[in-house]
Amino acid sequence: MKKIKYILYLLIFAFYLLPSHLSAQQQRFPKPEFESGYEQPSTVTPEPRALSLEYFDVLVLLAVLSLVTWLILKKRSRQGVLWVSIFTLIYFGFYRNGCICPIGAIQNVTLSFADPAYAISLTALLFFLFPLVFTLFFGRTFCAGACPLGAIQDLIIIKPISLPKWLNKTLGLIPYIYLSLAVLFAATGTDFIICRYDPFVGIFRMDAKFLMVVLGISFLLVGMFVARPYCRFFCPYSVLLSWMSRFSKRHLTITPSKCIQCKLCSNSCPFDAIDYPTDEKEVVKSGLGPKRFITYALLIPLWIAAGVFVGERSHTFLSKANNDVYLAELLISNPEIKNDPDNIDVQTFLASGKTMETLVEEAGGIRQKFYYGSMIAGGFIGLVIGVTLLNTVVFRKRQDYVPQKGNCLSCGRCMDYCPVEE
Amino acid sequence: MTNNDKLKLAQNVALVAGTFCVIVALLLLLNYWQVSQNDPIESQVMEVLVERLNEEPNNDGLKTEIRNYDLLARKAYFNSQWQVKTGAFLLLFGAIVLAVALRYFYSLKSKIEAPDKVLENEIASRIVAQKGIVIVGGIVFILAVIASFATVNYLDQYDIQTTELADAAPAEDDGIEVIDVDQTQEETAQQPVADESETTEEEVEAEQPAVEEEVAAPQPEPEAQPETSTASSLSINQIKNNHNSFRGPLGQGVIYHENIPTEWDGASGTNILWEAPIPKHGYNSPVVWGDKVFIAGADDQSREVYCYNADTGELLWTGVANNIPGSPSTMPRVTEDTGLAAPTVTTDGKRVFAIFGTGDVIAFDMDGNRVWAKNLGVPDNHYGHSSSLITWDNKLFIQLDTNSGGRLLALNTATGDPVWDTKRDANISWASPVLAEVDGKYQIILTAVPIVAGYDVETGEELWAVDCMMGEVGPSVGYSEGIVHAANEYATMVAIDIKTQEILWEDNMYLPEASSPLAHDGLLIICTSYGVMVCYDAKTGEEYWEHDVGTTFYSSPMYADGKLFMMDNAGVMRVYEYGKEMNLISENELGETFGTSPAFAEGRIYIRGDENLYCIGN
Repeated sequence: MKKIKYILYLLIFAFYLLPSHLSAQQQRFPKPEFESGYEQPSTVTPEPRALSLEYFDVLVLLAVLSLVTWLILKKRSRQGVLWVSIFTLIYFGFYRNGCICPIGAIQNVTLSFADPAYAISLTALLFFLFPLVFTLFFGRTFCAGACPLGAIQDLIIIKPISLPKWLNKTLGLIPYIYLSLAVLFAATGTDFIICRYDPFVGIFRMDAKFLMVVLGISFLLVGMFVARPYCRFFCPYSVLLSWMSRFSKRHLTITPSKCIQCKLCSNSCPFDAIDYPTDEKEVVKSGLGPKRFITYALLIPLWIAAGVFVGERSHTFLSKANNDVYLAELLISNPEIKNDPDNIDVQTFLASGKTMETLVEEAGGIRQKFYYGSMIAGGFIGLVIGVTLLNTVVFRKRQDYVPQKGNCLSCGRCMDYCPVEE
Repeated sequence: MTNNDKLKLAQNVALVAGTFCVIVALLLLLNYWQVSQNDPIESQVMEVLVERLNEEPNNDGLKTEIRNYDLLARKAYFNSQWQVKTGAFLLLFGAIVLAVALRYFYSLKSKIEAPDKVLENEIASRIVAQKGIVIVGGIVFILAVIASFATVNYLDQYDIQTTELADAAPAEDDGIEVIDVDQTQEETAQQPVADESETTEEEVEAEQPAVEEEVAAPQPEPEAQPETSTASSLSINQIKNNHNSFRGPLGQGVIYHENIPTEWDGASGTNILWEAPIPKHGYNSPVVWGDKVFIAGADDQSREVYCYNADTGELLWTGVANNIPGSPSTMPRVTEDTGLAAPTVTTDGKRVFAIFGTGDVIAFDMDGNRVWAKNLGVPDNHYGHSSSLITWDNKLFIQLDTNSGGRLLALNTATGDPVWDTKRDANISWASPVLAEVDGKYQIILTAVPIVAGYDVETGEELWAVDCMMGEVGPSVGYSEGIVHAANEYATMVAIDIKTQEILWEDNMYLPEASSPLAHDGLLIICTSYGVMVCYDAKTGEEYWEHDVGTTFYSSPMYADGKLFMMDNAGVMRVYEYGKEMNLISENELGETFGTSPAFAEGRIYIRGDENLYCIGN
């Protein structure tokens, strides 16, 4: 109890700090008044934050991760996790406007590797690493209560339906594709698409564009019945967390001691992340044995080659998302656009004094990066398809109902269904 | 409260919250549509009212009506914005209540369900999953391939276009060059002076000794001998027979015309052939091509190029540098003594080129029709851009040394497209480019902080650079017989061997602020802002003479017709014998002050005064 008190004191202290530092978020200089009717665009990221407060955020993340992990593994308290989720939603969601978050930090890390001129902040790096490290040891406790995107979806789960396994597996490819594209766009300095297309950040900031509001609300509406759809079928960070979680030694267990095979937990997981005991006879009968395993294993290089080929073919298309490439091609394909005073991109370029040759040269350089990047991304997607197919013919012997380490979000719902006492 | 009561309460709360959310969402959608329809900036009513105001600019009632309507429209707009924001918060609140009520409702209803008796057939599910994965993977790959085939690589097309342009531009200029070599009578009629002056090398050489005999003055320097290169459409003969840039041919301050008047008087009108008002202010100097004189002027309203008839002073046309993409809507801040039109225009006989403090570069043909225009970005210059233009070899050279860094640009004179763009390790400069022939090849010589440097006109490659300059560099370099003379007030004056980059001599006794050094025939002339004119030995730095006139020199000294012409800011031009001894021939008062440099052509001097352009001739 003493520990909980200390944690509560810490959180109360944190809340006392908040109002005094709200001013740090305000703009130092007022925005200029434009007579031309120019509208200030909504920024992808919120106002810069004092460094000390950034470290404070890291501290809060660390505290929340520790608390959730402790609640899951030691206290086995779903209720506790729920309250921490509410805190996460308020603090990291509505107060911190959903930024910085570990999901978006993937892009910062990628860009820091790809662009020597870009230095990632230590706080962004820690935000990226802490959840991975926790997951490596304790499973996806970050998803359970420390992720604001997960929290907002988790709180609106009303009547979840169970999706068939095949659909789960098939939709499970999407995060890998999203991750590939996010890394590709970040590495080429094109865009941080995870942040740009974050469906909930607009809700947190109350300033989303209309389409993003529609997207966010759609996710929430679907999420009432298909639990946490973004986490399961879109979140690119879930790919990394899933990898880490598979190796976690102290992962959540449904039962605190020996499973009594009561099957009460079989419908408890809204995320379809509980594996049932293996029926060995059915497996042998199915014919999904070594032959198919070898076939699928041999097909993996072909999938990779196909992915590399597709990546090479589509690099021109993908590179058009880059502003410089887009502008250069726009000016080449439509030279008259130079005379359009309303095209702010073109007019800004013309006013910059940069020559067309320079722009085209820079655009060519970016396209070259896309050439290699798209092939790597395509190869990665091919590898994922090949390995996922291979996994469908791999059977691990299970005698109990156990959480799928990779997909389990460690929310703790299943624990409440288990009648076994410690 | 029984369980049923709780269920009913939760149900009712959920129902009310849900209805509330739906109503707010519908209102928000309506508001969104309304806001998108009634943007005050795009209001058609306002456009009509503004059009009416343009027709009736003095209609005060209309002005009040516009203001009232504008205020109303803006109020409505911002009111809608407030409604959107408030609606979003209400919707969020409603959604939270709905979610909590529903959760509570289902938690009351829920009980641990009996486990399914028949579990999903995992094997069958895995087989379907395999198909699903292959189908999804296949669809992703196929879509990507289709997208790749539907994509046009415009960047590759750009290479083709530039190749075409590069091929087309010289062809056009080659064609014009043929005309220049007196093939067409029509062209001859149009540019009498230019063509009259198209003498052969022999003719030029034959004329020069006569000059020497007559005035006992030195010849034009060897490097200014007739150009034999056929690469340029602009021949050295044409340049010598006109005054196509700041400080004349190649920007060196050496004039090849004869019979230049040495005496005039503005007050009595003696030898003043004509005087014409200049519409807009500018510190640029006149340039002359054939029977046309060009200057530029600018104010906050517009930037203009003027063409005068050299014989009559009639303003033939005014070219306005407007509607240039990227041109700033508000004028950059410049000081009064620089203005927006400090750079002198230049011409290649086919087009006249101008640059303004806005970064606008524009080309007109000789009849005032716009050929091309572009904006290079507002030069980051705290006084205002003042580096003049110069042209050679179908290229227009722009010294763009600013607080943001140094650049030398070469634009295709026919299209305005960049030919090359060289970044310089130099800071801001107000000096102008000077052309020099070294071993049969032309260089552009620039001076800025900290380097004096030479660049290949063909490629823009920096051929050499000497780190020697300081301060805010205003004077351009002087060049003669392989020696570059660079000087700047509060800094230094250096003589640099252009081939070895050796500093031959250095002095800091008399230094110019704005006036550029004149180097010619072994002499170097320096004019300071405090009114001292000094003559040095160009090779050794030995001082031959000095003349303290006591008035400011911003104009640059010019050699013409065996004499030295130097105009002070009070409008007095002094004419000296060009030699090692000071011999003042005349002092001529114009009656109008200014600090520009005169242009010389066909026995005439063209001087830009504060408000008028003067033509002086016998």
